[in-house]
Amino acid sequence: MSDIFNIFIRSVFIDNMVFAYFLGMCSYLAVSKSVKTASGLGLAVCFVLAITVPVNYLIDKYLLQPGALSWLGSSFAQVDLSFLSLIIFIAVIAGMVQLLEMVIERYMPALYMALGIFLPLIAVNCAILGGSLFMQERNFPTVAHSFSYAIGSGLGWLLAITAMAALRERLKYSNIPEPLRGNGIAYIITGLMGLGFMAFLGI
Amino acid sequence: MRKFSNTYVFLYVSALVLLICVVLASVSIGLKSKREANVTREKYQQILKAAGYKDVPKKKTVSFFQEIAESEKGGKTSEQYHIRCADGNPGIVVRVQGKGLWGPIWGYVVLSEDGSSIKGVSFAHKSETPGLGAKITEDEFTNAFIDKKLYDQNGVFTSVRVVKKGQEGDLLEENRVDAISGATITSRGVDNMMKELRIEN
Amino acid sequence: MKKYLGPLSKDNPILVQTLGVCSALAVTAQLKPAVVMALSVTVVCAFSNLIISLIRNTIPSRIRIIVQLLIVSFWVVLVDLLLQAYFYEISKLLSVFVGLIITNCIIMGRLEAFALSHKPWPSFMDGVMNGLGYGLVLVVVAFFRELLGSGTLWNHQVVPNALYHAGYLNNGLMILPPMALILVGVMIWVRGSGVDR
Repeated sequence: MSDIFNIFIRSVFIDNMVFAYFLGMCSYLAVSKSVKTASGLGLAVCFVLAITVPVNYLIDKYLLQPGALSWLGSSFAQVDLSFLSLIIFIAVIAGMVQLLEMVIERYMPALYMALGIFLPLIAVNCAILGGSLFMQERNFPTVAHSFSYAIGSGLGWLLAITAMAALRERLKYSNIPEPLRGNGIAYIITGLMGLGFMAFLGI
Repeated sequence: MRKFSNTYVFLYVSALVLLICVVLASVSIGLKSKREANVTREKYQQILKAAGYKDVPKKKTVSFFQEIAESEKGGKTSEQYHIRCADGNPGIVVRVQGKGLWGPIWGYVVLSEDGSSIKGVSFAHKSETPGLGAKITEDEFTNAFIDKKLYDQNGVFTSVRVVKKGQEGDLLEENRVDAISGATITSRGVDNMMKELRIEN
Repeated sequence: MKKYLGPLSKDNPILVQTLGVCSALAVTAQLKPAVVMALSVTVVCAFSNLIISLIRNTIPSRIRIIVQLLIVSFWVVLVDLLLQAYFYEISKLLSVFVGLIITNCIIMGRLEAFALSHKPWPSFMDGVMNGLGYGLVLVVVAFFRELLGSGTLWNHQVVPNALYHAGYLNNGLMILPPMALILVGVMIWVRGSGVDR
């Protein structure tokens, strides 16, 4: 249990998707202009991560890993499909995003209004694929671990983009050298925030 | 853009997926032996480094290792080899593994024949910070382990501890090495890994 | 030839279009992985562009994103397998970031914006140039990070020992991931002030 909680805290603060691995930077820079849209996208990322990572975990564990097919009988124990994992992961993500979009639109129109425009963007958000790939690299023992990792990473991403958007809203009033305005200063601020987040390393 | 029928779309995707899978599968199988050879060679390289052999050419690693290895004992939980070290004396190679800051770390420790002192170590890591935690692979760190003792003056197993300067407590000089400054968690990982060091007979 | 040169500076994918930053920065602590990463992205980008351009008239527009993803992941997996077989040490350094080339927005962006509507040869060149423009930033960032952070280039020591004896220290800050972002910010700054003049 404490393991699961540990993974959660680590993935929010220490292994933060944005500050430690720069994942999902494209949408992070493009959408962090106002707090409202930023938190919308953040929520959507959280949501999609929480669904795709455990699903990919199960697929990886029972279909793709070397020896994963042994539940089909001993003759399958030697099969190693891990070279397909990238393609399968991305397919699962693209499929899930599409499915989610339809389900949300049908049953939760309010949520759809809030997240709708962001969902298609997410299929090609590196944070999502990164979540699945890091999950694979880290070899979590159970599905619960991978779920807590997914939620943590999603929250970390949400935290990062919301904080960034809030900063950028204030930036409008500050006097920045002309060539640095816009993306330049955004990079530098992200870097400084990342340095700040490194303070959590000791936990 | 032209309109396409549903059947066409379906067939198109199926054909594409099939094609891609077949090509990738054949490439993967074709390169498998090469990939596995890389993994083995890397392991042997690490052991040779720990045993004090410098500058063994990459291509000769495997044959060289087989030449000096006297017996090999590999299981699921432990890996142990008896080899001849660079100084001509026999040594026991033990694999250790643990967790660093970002991911797994592991290494090979070469012990003297009676298992009481260290003849050399080499560490590796998956994703430690370059320049900080990643320094565990560098000679500066690993050389400090040479000739350290695994037992204290009363014959109690202490292993070789990795401790920060100023926190040595009553550990003897010969039972500890200095931690890497700025890489507390990776150093602690190495420390824990060394504590687990066991020789199986 | 000139029309292909845009991505190197004027339309640089990272500095101007802010695409593909995701996988760019985590591999730039040292020069070697950065160069390999840049080459991998160039190869994937160029050949995905080529293939998509070749089959552009047969792709049903409804499923084009899926088809693009499939083609890109095909090349990425291929590159990954080759790296593992022939450049094992480097493939370990790059770890998951090779896989993340799939979601590199540069590649998807070029497929969507260029390859779907152009002939194979220009598409191929467009892919190569965008890959190189991306690689250029990577290499510059990696150059400074390795030089200032570890005092080495391509794993060879370049800062003379005499300097260390005189009290020079490597700047450990450069090694940390956030510095990559700050360096890119500075590059945008430098580029921006150059263009204005």
